[in-house]
Amino acid sequence: MISSRSASFAGAQRRFFVWCVAPSLAVLAIVTLLPSLYLLATSFTPLNLTRPETQWDFSQPLISYGQLLQDDRLRNSLWVQVKLSFWTVLLQLAIGLGVALLLNIRSRLLEALRTVFLIPMVLPPIVVAIIWKVIYTPDISPMHGVFKAIGWNVPALITSPDWALTSIIIADTWEWSPFTMLMVLAALQMMPQELIDAAKVDGASPWQLTRYVTLPFIKGVLLVAGLFRLIDSIKAFPLIYILTEGGPGSLTEVTNYYSFLQAFNFSYLGFSSAITVVLLIATIALSWLILRLVGWGMRVD
Amino acid sequence: MSTEASVRRRDRFLMQTLAVVLAVLTLAPFLWLLVMSFKTNAEIFRFPPRLLFDATLANYAALWTSEFRSSFSNSLIVSVASTLLSLVIGVPAAYALSRWTSRASGTITLWVLASRMAPPIAFTIPYFLAYRHLELLDTLEGLVIIYLTFNLSLVIWMMRPFYDQLPRSLEEAAWIDGATMWQGFTRIILPLSGPGLAATAILCFLFAWNDFFFALILTRTQAMTAPVAVVNFMNYEGWEWGRIAAGGTMIMLPVLVFSFIVRRYLVAGLTGGALKG
Repeated sequence: MISSRSASFAGAQRRFFVWCVAPSLAVLAIVTLLPSLYLLATSFTPLNLTRPETQWDFSQPLISYGQLLQDDRLRNSLWVQVKLSFWTVLLQLAIGLGVALLLNIRSRLLEALRTVFLIPMVLPPIVVAIIWKVIYTPDISPMHGVFKAIGWNVPALITSPDWALTSIIIADTWEWSPFTMLMVLAALQMMPQELIDAAKVDGASPWQLTRYVTLPFIKGVLLVAGLFRLIDSIKAFPLIYILTEGGPGSLTEVTNYYSFLQAFNFSYLGFSSAITVVLLIATIALSWLILRLVGWGMRVD
Repeated sequence: MSTEASVRRRDRFLMQTLAVVLAVLTLAPFLWLLVMSFKTNAEIFRFPPRLLFDATLANYAALWTSEFRSSFSNSLIVSVASTLLSLVIGVPAAYALSRWTSRASGTITLWVLASRMAPPIAFTIPYFLAYRHLELLDTLEGLVIIYLTFNLSLVIWMMRPFYDQLPRSLEEAAWIDGATMWQGFTRIILPLSGPGLAATAILCFLFAWNDFFFALILTRTQAMTAPVAVVNFMNYEGWEWGRIAAGGTMIMLPVLVFSFIVRRYLVAGLTGGALKG
């Protein structure tokens, strides 16, 4: 009796698992795969919401993609994206790494401070945008108040052509440096104590220890953190929407934001879909790269 | 020897001081908004600010009698509903995928990570077009459905490692004792995954609560969520800084409390389960 029941275990389990997985796969297919196909289909039409007959017009499937190549504003948005991504990723890696190394010293005070440094990252993105809107609005900004008090005449940064993109980079760096910090701290705690002891016995200075032992140990985590931030920088939206709305002119208009404008301000959903398909392919390629580099479920603790 | 020790003590002191200064700088912008929410408009425009000002709750009171209250409850309803739905659909799948090694899992993995990484606009355009015909624009149901795009995959990849840690002999023992598969899962496995479920539920709630982009495009008035409502204070109602600050504070307070509870799982949540911190 017992043995026959345990023999049927494997079969019953397999049937049960199919019932467990099926709803999730079905729902994921409906909520992610189907919309992606819809997006792809729309990108082959010249869909303009003010002209309903354009909805399923596949007579010139590549017209939107042809426009992509000739659109100067799109080219500008790609260049803005490159600048934004480059500086935010670089600064966030550098600052996150620096703070992590600083906090890795054994001290009760510093352990308590770790939570404080995480706050910017966990705030709702819209609240981060509001915080920086306050800081960048001269009338009420404590920063402008200080500048004025010491006699500097600083223009409103988010409306100044020279400073608009920089002000977004600063806000984004404040928000997301903690992400690198958190990942590096987790990796540092995994570092074997023997490695550190051996270097100290050999007479390594703290600087040499960091440069030749710690950094090589965490470079993998840094690379992954950088890739995740790179992908997220392609999605930058609330900061740009609240702080500059892509301006002045189109100096802070990244590709994602430009696609949003085309779709929901100008109603050119077909053209916007084509831009978005290109963005989507870029993020899938980067995700694939992450999986290649680290595999799935890599542990950093 | 003693000089070396004193140098080390001095370095340590400098490092700690630097860390404290950096922490204050990190916190300052956030605290400024918090304090601002208790100020009158006149006080907000005063520089240098007075350290001791007459704190007022007027901004919060003004919010509570305005449309913001219904937006706030919309946010609560949508976030809770999205969390529960994602758990109900996703948890059995996480359990089965943990026990089941399938060759297809590599493809599913890339699919799930890509849907976490995809720019929100890639989903927003087709959802917007489809919702116009399905009459789901500006409805809470519409938001709950689109939040499945990120919360369902989050549940699957957050919960799987918890089940990896539970010994497989558990459900086999239950089976031999005469329990059905379903009983083994609900009575033995689920109670053991309590902490993982709690952390995952909180992360789902936070991601839904924090969403701005989907709600901005898919809602108008009826289903407007709190983040969109606060932004409307800026665009349409003049610059009521006190109310903006109060609204922002109300949106971030639940987030801060919950994040503190799940801080161990933040990395896993933010990377869609690709990394476990």
